[in-house]
Amino acid sequence: MRFLSILLVSAALFASDKDSFFLKGVTVFPVSSPKIDNTTLLVVDGKIADIGAKSAPKGVRVIDGKGLQVYPGIINSATNIGLSEISSIRETNDTGELGDFNPQLRAIVAINPETEHIPVVRANGISTVLTLPGGGGFGGGGTGIIMGQAALIHLDGYTYEEMEINRTAAYQMRFPTMQSRTFDFDTFQFSRGSFAESKRRFDTQMQEIKRFFSEARTYMQAKTAKTPGLKTNVRFDAMIPLFEGKAPLMITASKEREILAAIKFAEEEKVKIILADVREPGKATEEIAKKKIPCILGPVTQLPPEADMSYDFNYSLPSQLHKAGVKFAFGSFQNQFARNIAFEAASASSYGLPYDEALKAITLSAAEIWGIGDKYGSIEKGKYADILVTNGDPLEVKTDIKMLFIQGRQQSLESKHTRLYDKYRQRPN
Amino acid sequence: MKFSLLLLPCLLLAADPPLVVQNANILTVTKGTIKGSILVENGKIKEVGEKVMVPPGAKVIDASGQFILPGIIDSHSHIAADSINEGSISVSSMVRIEDVLNPEDVAIYRAIAGGTTIANVLHGSANAIGGQNSLIKLRWGKKAEEMFWDKAQPSIKFALGENPKRQGNPTGGRVGAANVNTLRYPATRMGIEDVYVEAFTKAKEYRQSWKDYEAKKAKGEAVIPPRRDLQLEPLVEVLEGKRLVHVHAYRADEILMMIRIAEQIGFKITSFEHILEGYKVAKEMAKHGSAGAGFSDWWAFKIEAYDAIPYNMAIMARKGVLASVNSDSADTIRRLNTEAAKTMKYGGLTEEEALKLVTINPAIHLQVDKYVGSIEVGKDADFVIWDKHPLSSFARAQQVYIDGVKYFDRDDDASARVKIEAQKKALEDKLRRQTPATRRPQ
Amino acid sequence: MTIRRRHFLKSAACALTASGLFAQGRPPILIRNAKIVPVSGPILARGAVLVEDGFITAVGESIAAPAGAQIIEGEGLTVYPGLIDGLSTLGLDAAPTAGLALPQGRGAGGPAPAPAATISRGPEDRPLTTPWIKAADLVKTTDRRLPLARAAGFTSAVTFPTSGIFAGQGAVINLAAERAGQMIVAPSVGIYTTLATNRGGGFPNSLMGVIAYLRQTYIDAEHYKSANEMFAKNPQLARPAYERALEGIIEAPRTLFPAVRAYEIDRMIRLTKDFPTKPVLYGLHEGFRRGDEIAKAGVAAIVNLRWPEAPRDQDPEDHEDIKVLELRDKAASTPGVLAKAGVKFTFSSIGVDTPAATIRAVKKAIDAGLPAAEALRAMTLSAAEIYGIQSRLGSIEKGKIANLTITKGDLFQDSTRVQFVLIDGVKFDPAPEETPQRPEFSR
Repeated sequence: MRFLSILLVSAALFASDKDSFFLKGVTVFPVSSPKIDNTTLLVVDGKIADIGAKSAPKGVRVIDGKGLQVYPGIINSATNIGLSEISSIRETNDTGELGDFNPQLRAIVAINPETEHIPVVRANGISTVLTLPGGGGFGGGGTGIIMGQAALIHLDGYTYEEMEINRTAAYQMRFPTMQSRTFDFDTFQFSRGSFAESKRRFDTQMQEIKRFFSEARTYMQAKTAKTPGLKTNVRFDAMIPLFEGKAPLMITASKEREILAAIKFAEEEKVKIILADVREPGKATEEIAKKKIPCILGPVTQLPPEADMSYDFNYSLPSQLHKAGVKFAFGSFQNQFARNIAFEAASASSYGLPYDEALKAITLSAAEIWGIGDKYGSIEKGKYADILVTNGDPLEVKTDIKMLFIQGRQQSLESKHTRLYDKYRQRPN
Repeated sequence: MKFSLLLLPCLLLAADPPLVVQNANILTVTKGTIKGSILVENGKIKEVGEKVMVPPGAKVIDASGQFILPGIIDSHSHIAADSINEGSISVSSMVRIEDVLNPEDVAIYRAIAGGTTIANVLHGSANAIGGQNSLIKLRWGKKAEEMFWDKAQPSIKFALGENPKRQGNPTGGRVGAANVNTLRYPATRMGIEDVYVEAFTKAKEYRQSWKDYEAKKAKGEAVIPPRRDLQLEPLVEVLEGKRLVHVHAYRADEILMMIRIAEQIGFKITSFEHILEGYKVAKEMAKHGSAGAGFSDWWAFKIEAYDAIPYNMAIMARKGVLASVNSDSADTIRRLNTEAAKTMKYGGLTEEEALKLVTINPAIHLQVDKYVGSIEVGKDADFVIWDKHPLSSFARAQQVYIDGVKYFDRDDDASARVKIEAQKKALEDKLRRQTPATRRPQ
Repeated sequence: MTIRRRHFLKSAACALTASGLFAQGRPPILIRNAKIVPVSGPILARGAVLVEDGFITAVGESIAAPAGAQIIEGEGLTVYPGLIDGLSTLGLDAAPTAGLALPQGRGAGGPAPAPAATISRGPEDRPLTTPWIKAADLVKTTDRRLPLARAAGFTSAVTFPTSGIFAGQGAVINLAAERAGQMIVAPSVGIYTTLATNRGGGFPNSLMGVIAYLRQTYIDAEHYKSANEMFAKNPQLARPAYERALEGIIEAPRTLFPAVRAYEIDRMIRLTKDFPTKPVLYGLHEGFRRGDEIAKAGVAAIVNLRWPEAPRDQDPEDHEDIKVLELRDKAASTPGVLAKAGVKFTFSSIGVDTPAATIRAVKKAIDAGLPAAEALRAMTLSAAEIYGIQSRLGSIEKGKIANLTITKGDLFQDSTRVQFVLIDGVKFDPAPEETPQRPEFSR
């Protein structure tokens, strides 16, 4: 017992070593306010205690960051990290459960903390990701409608519980589409099916969705009213936080017609939504802005959706959404290139999105969209110290990531990649 | 909705009047950076320097604050082709990408808008010995015949690893119903090696059959000539060093196997393409003399890509392999400049080393460095004007020239879009209105 | 059909020695006081045509009626050479699907043949190669489309087997006869090729594989021919193996190759330069961009009349590429462009719902700039010339087969009706309007 208390005491003494430090000689880019040249940053117990303090409090580790730049940790708002290792190998993928309505599924419980993707992504300054239960590689059913609960996680922790920021950051939903044109992998061309048939399928799916929502709501009311004999329904229970407004519905809808339908649906169902993978919003842009619906945009660098669209269609989409007043963050919607999210932001910036907005879309805007803007996303006193230290602009490809802190804990920037690099560059000639 | 320059038949300037681009930061790649000008005449670079002669009648462009880089060369692409794989057989050396080139593929325009001027359009990787590739200049708006490049060396595609053995797998590598009827040898990496041994054994016999025939014929014997075999002819050319060999390769063991089997059979590997584990066998590659064109940072999309590291190019370059970065993608071909920049981050290559990866290095391994790959007097005037340093994430291609002819201009693109949008609208309206005509004068 | 029955038919066909026999024993027909449009010469505003024993025996302003002749008073009628469908499957049982409507024309190939029992592992296996199949052996008098075609003014068609890479040999047929053999005007006028890939999993399964296969097969056919010639002179040499697939490939008088888009036309012109056969291009919907190039290459053209149109049951919000729209808008201008460029061309009905729709499609080309006289020439004399049968068909001249199309009003006026046709000198009145046999043409 005494031994244990000694341990506890020493833990208290040295805890500050693990998540407290004083970083000096740096330029701080708080994102929420203009940059501060040649200043210091004090982190105590994982939180930002001061910016510009003259010296470190006694016992706090001092880090010389001369000439380095400090940014909030980067947030990637759509990945499958922890759930998908090698996208083409079925056994390494836990995305895409069978069945259409799975609000009860939680991505958090399937996150493998030892996935090689975590250190790889972290080495590029990413501290936080949203992990989706659907999409990504050769998943299972893959075509469900409500795919489960997406988890917002820190890329640090021995277990998923230690990594968790919010295990129900959003419910992932794939909105049905009326599109009758499909890509035929036989001919590598688009082929058109019957529109009447597609519309019928769409209407059927919408009916099923509405029925599911309505039954779940009836169930919730019965439960609130403590109706005797009400049988537990796990799926309906899982919908309650959504109905109570505690978590948003993250709806994948790419084109104008589906986006408008999704917005209408959300209004009818009185649920909070986030639009995901918006690609061709068209006239829906105004509606998105007016209703203040946040968006998670897919890779900026992907190809334009149609052959006769302008070559920079995707590059300039973020700029257009910004001009219209839409709030958004960037996501990769897969793992392989998740580490490049800052470069996606840069591409948006070179095609019209103001630089500050590009940076925000992978930091503060993302944090705000995920409901953690009060604790993360910028460098402000009282916020958690998710902090990135670089030798330049993190949106520039060639910039080196020097340090990354998650809640003040310094992260290893080693990965499978650096280990192999070190091993083979030392191979004798 | 916005539109691109798809239909404008000829925005292109004639190459005839000389062209002078002034006040640019010229990244020559081979001769350092020059703040100065470049003179283009008859499609070639006539002068490069702080000051150049401005011939009368020359078109002068002011590129103050902008950067000139040679046109990017993508040594591994599959754009602009109506088919990519003849995967039905394990040796498809008779097929030619040139036969199926589609000059109207919009991927060409998008590629030049990203600063790429030359693409090596390769056969796919469905089989150990694939088809004949086509190195093209991306002269958008021209016919296929005008994209073929007379300086291109004949080449052939080989492929190793998972792709060529996939058809030997009853489930095609996936969970599901097996179709045993369409199984095709080989199913293993061992079998892939065997395909090379057997194919080149046949090719040697074929070559001998022609020699025997010529000898008999010279003696005046009545003899039926051998049948010309379009499958084996390209392999004979490989044996005779007349056809370059580009090998799709991921894993170190298969790279080593390929090198050894090539040495045993008696030919040289020109390059390993989108190579992932070149860093593990850089020593052996350097010794064999094969180049390594890599993916910037692709990994984990297959089990054979699980040891792929973005430091690959840096290690290969440091260990004496002629390294480059390739796209293998209609998407990535639009930003090979920043793909190259990744090697500065991963492995610390210098700016100049990074730029070489997408310009002169691929030109060397494709054996066209006499003509392209750097800004030097006498070379083809293939260059790109960038608004910022092309290794910056924020750089945008502003103008792209091939043989001194402008094929892309961001400003023209913007103004043409409006026109094309109107054109399309008018077409849509017309087609909607169309009703069968009733009166037809004879 | 049992072997015995086939034997019987064959011997029955052998008993008849000429197609003209169809009309033998029938009285001569004299059409007089009609407008005569011979195509090969000036129009006679008022003239006569005499038909005897299946042949045109006289054309002139006025012809004396032979004894026993059936006299047709042609007041208000116009007499044209019988219309020829320049590329069709008329007379064959199965109508092909409309492959040509695809943006990437891979040929009007019919449904892909069932996978072979053994998988093709290379050119040596001669995949999808059936040059021995002859339309002449397959045509039937019972094809339900024949009366419809006659009612629309067609008297002849060039009919091809359309399935496979080297699909088979076409025949020029007349669209009526008592027996199938009597329909044949010319039994082997060329080989039809498509760029069909092997769906059975074997070689070739790509467009470039098909092209490589065409190239190798022509080399092999030439080699086969020369090897056999050498062997004939030097019997001590190793005996070349007999190959049915190579028989006749380079002896074919012409070979039809598909090309729809402009760059496909460029490609096919480029490829066929090296092929030891006389090429004819078919498809050509984007031919409006390549008139001069086709003329310069000196190849004949067969324009497919299934003009691209908006798909039925289409998503109103579907994105349609500007190129697709443009092709839809301009395809029908191709014949006009070809005529102007001096290209010899005719039309193909493959994929068009009905013969009446075929005529409507020609009218669309006329609306898009093709002079009506050129349209008529394309459907008569040009078609005959392309297939080398102009001595027998294609114009109203003495000595030619008595295939005539008689209308009230000018051929391409909407109000015009075909009154009757003569085929091998036999008069056929149009059947009452029939609805198209949808299942046969289903997409």
